[in-house]
Amino acid sequence: MIKTKNYDKQESAGGRKVESECNADMKTHFRVCRFIMETGVKLGMHSIPVATACALYHRFFQSASLQVYEPHLVAMSAMYLAGKVEEQHLRTRDIINVCHRYLHAGSEPLELDSKFWELRDSVVQCELLVLRQLNFHVSFQHPHKYLLHYLLSVKGIMNRHAWSRTPIAETAWALLKDSYHGPLCVHHPPQHLALAVLYLALHSYGVEVPQGAVEWWQVLCEDITKAEIESIISELLQLYDMEAKCT
Amino acid sequence: MERELLRQCLAFHGQSLAAVLGSEQSENEHFALIQADLSKAPQQRKDKKVDSSAVEQFIARKADLLFSSSWKSAAPAEEEWSEDTQEPYAIMPPLELFMDVLFEERRDLFYRDVERGDIVVGRINSIRDFGFFITLICTGGGLEREIEDLELTALCPIREVPSNGNHDDPLSYYQVGDLIRAGVKDIDRYHGKVTVSLQPFSLSPSLAKLKLGVISAEDLPLHYSRGLKVASSSSETYEKVLESSLGFSNPSNVEFLLGKLGISETHPPSLMRGLQSKNFCKEDYGTAIKKKQSASWALKCVKIGVDHFKSGRHVEAMNEYNKALEMDADNVEALVARGALYATKGSLVKAMDDFELALKSCPSHRNAKKYLCQTLVERGGQLEEEEKLVTAESLYRKALALDDTFKEAEDALQRLQVHIQKSLKVREEEAAKEQKKSKNVETSAEKLRKILKEEKRMKRKKRRLSSSSSSSSTSSSVSSDDDSSSDGRRKSKKRKRKRRRSSRSRKKRHRRVSSRDKSVGSKEEWYPAPANTSASFINQKQEVARLLDEQSLPDGSGGSQSRRSRPSISSSSLEVMDDSRGRFEDDPFDGAPQQMERGRGKGDGSLVSPGGRESGPRERKWSCGDREVLGAQRKESYSRPREQESPGKTRNKRHSSSSSSVAGPESSHRPESHADGYKRSDSCRYGGGMGESRDRLYPDEQDSRASGDRSQNGMVSSQGSGRKNLPPHLLDIFSQIAQFEKEKLNKAKM
Repeated sequence: MIKTKNYDKQESAGGRKVESECNADMKTHFRVCRFIMETGVKLGMHSIPVATACALYHRFFQSASLQVYEPHLVAMSAMYLAGKVEEQHLRTRDIINVCHRYLHAGSEPLELDSKFWELRDSVVQCELLVLRQLNFHVSFQHPHKYLLHYLLSVKGIMNRHAWSRTPIAETAWALLKDSYHGPLCVHHPPQHLALAVLYLALHSYGVEVPQGAVEWWQVLCEDITKAEIESIISELLQLYDMEAKCT
Repeated sequence: MERELLRQCLAFHGQSLAAVLGSEQSENEHFALIQADLSKAPQQRKDKKVDSSAVEQFIARKADLLFSSSWKSAAPAEEEWSEDTQEPYAIMPPLELFMDVLFEERRDLFYRDVERGDIVVGRINSIRDFGFFITLICTGGGLEREIEDLELTALCPIREVPSNGNHDDPLSYYQVGDLIRAGVKDIDRYHGKVTVSLQPFSLSPSLAKLKLGVISAEDLPLHYSRGLKVASSSSETYEKVLESSLGFSNPSNVEFLLGKLGISETHPPSLMRGLQSKNFCKEDYGTAIKKKQSASWALKCVKIGVDHFKSGRHVEAMNEYNKALEMDADNVEALVARGALYATKGSLVKAMDDFELALKSCPSHRNAKKYLCQTLVERGGQLEEEEKLVTAESLYRKALALDDTFKEAEDALQRLQVHIQKSLKVREEEAAKEQKKSKNVETSAEKLRKILKEEKRMKRKKRRLSSSSSSSSTSSSVSSDDDSSSDGRRKSKKRKRKRRRSSRSRKKRHRRVSSRDKSVGSKEEWYPAPANTSASFINQKQEVARLLDEQSLPDGSGGSQSRRSRPSISSSSLEVMDDSRGRFEDDPFDGAPQQMERGRGKGDGSLVSPGGRESGPRERKWSCGDREVLGAQRKESYSRPREQESPGKTRNKRHSSSSSSVAGPESSHRPESHADGYKRSDSCRYGGGMGESRDRLYPDEQDSRASGDRSQNGMVSSQGSGRKNLPPHLLDIFSQIAQFEKEKLNKAKM
């Protein structure tokens, strides 16, 4: 990844960027979010804390520059902070262990030496930095809750056998989690994300939902339009395409 | 890949998808198998909606994940449905309501989806003699449908109504307008007829807990009551209802609903190729790395600890080991090292625990095995000393089981077995001797009688002696100094007690003895007199018996092969002497118990002898001398017998010790004692008849171990020399005692 220092960059990390830079950044973010999610699984983190960590990361880099801050460190701090926010506390020791092994595959566990303590210090310091960057607004309304309730409602209207043979819930959940590779979570309200994901899941399997005067998705989320749903879906699909390019 | 799913999907999307699917999934062999099937399925979509190619491509690319059969296994098991009064999550009115699904459609859907065992709630609209009809209001259980306005009617036949009484008409229990919760028994979809039942077994197993029959308005399902609210006011949107319900704010509703929907958090689903958690390496997980790391950190601490241990800093070493075990509780090296430290400090039990724990996790650890064997043997040795022989044996066996090449364990086990056998033997011997004693008692009693008759002539002297009974008591205590010295170091208090007791009892016995000059058969009465336990008493008997066996010297030295017998003999002889009336009836057996006591603790007792005598200091010195000599001779055998002689110790111990002392060291000690006795007695000698005579006596006592004749002669000679200095009455007594002893020995020889 070639970084070119230019004024555009320093003006506003979220502002106008050169296309290639944008892409490069997006790729980095994608990779780092992949890093977050994979270490999240290995640390036994639940879906919501992982989502919080990714959201923190995306929010952070909306207003910060990749040139200044090391994204992996920010990611580790985001995980640590997310664990605290979502009440699934993680030990820095575990975070450091898993991340170190991720970045240096097959390495031996770290010794309790000065290097270890320095790493730990940097994680803790960065955590404070993230907090300050986000003005201490670190609690999020995640789409997960909405999605689960939508799923129940849709399940209620469907034939139970049709429901049980189609893995709609898992697919929708997977889609939602995968969406955190990109900044969807900070660009769209949680209900919209949840709905879009559910829509895509139902659509993928070709499941027919009974029609009423109002569309089911309109019912679930009053202020969304079909176009919005579709734009979210297309963004999501782009993320999947990016996987091939980034990893 | 799930064939049906694919088919459904293709049916929905049409031909275009099929094409894309074919191209994307060309490598997938599963797909290849199904592809033929799929092409036969109808490809025409019901309503052609423009489908973005991106979606189709996505579906096609991810088809192996979307349609994989592994999804199915994640379906949750049917859990018991309970109408929650609290809301773990937001219970929403049926979506149909919000969607304004058409009447017809809803009815069709209802009939399509309702099944036997479902719950419906309705109101009774008419009661007939064959049953009653209800108008369905809403569904219950898992089914959530808006059916009130459909005005569906269901019949509940009379046989499905449980009777409340034997003779009552069950239907009389019900009235028109009652709210009824019933289970669906039968559906005629074609005709649109539903039969319900109030029998509990009509419900499906997951709903079995719900009560059927009349319910009140509060029992109506939440989704229904909420739905009513929604229907009444148009401003209630789904979202509003959702966000206003309490269950929505429950922080753990996500967890709950994930469980309800059957989504796993530990192996989260993903459509990203790289995030398929089954591909993750187990060693990369946080817990695995932490374990490895803790082990490595703990090992470091152990190494530091071992350094401390080698330099002798045990406290620091223990700290390091404990630190290591805090980090990694099962660390084998730390456990072994700590065990070794415990063993060195002497906490053998803790050491054994640590070694066993280490061996549990790593059964082939060489050092742990080795140390454990050593500790077991050591502990066994300790237990042997405490006479817990069985436990000791089990420990030795355990050590051997661990390492059958461990020589020490084998030796220790053999020694122990010998020990046990000896103790058993001794017990047998003692039992035999008891019997013997009873025989001997009679013969010696007879002898005593004879002697007493002779003594009667010398009554005056004896009276003088009796007046100085205190002195005799001291002399007896002096003579018993040898035994006191044997175990004396420990039991000064006991000695004092015993001495007082014994002196008291002895005085009593004087009177008693006199009254029983010639009574033979009353020996048994004398036995219980001492305050000893019966065990010690019996031992004394045995000692005396041994005395007889071994030609104990007269003059109270008693050829006591064991220290026990010696003191008893000496005490007995002195006792005889003391009973200055010449009542040798007061046979050594009598004397034995008391004098045993006396003897046992008497080193210091002699010092406290009532009425300070001049003999006192002499005795003291003498007792010191005794002690020295004795100590020199018999340190080994003393260690055990000393313990054993203390009152209250079990007979076994005594026997075992006696047996051991009899068997082993005795022979070696004899010449030693002999020689030493003479030397020391010389050194200890001072002026004063008693002291001197005592000195003589002392070597004589030791000589008792030597051949009887030689010692006797020596005794006699020493006695003779001593006699010059003794008051005449004492001399007499001594001679009589000597005679008596001789006779005893002779008898024993016989």
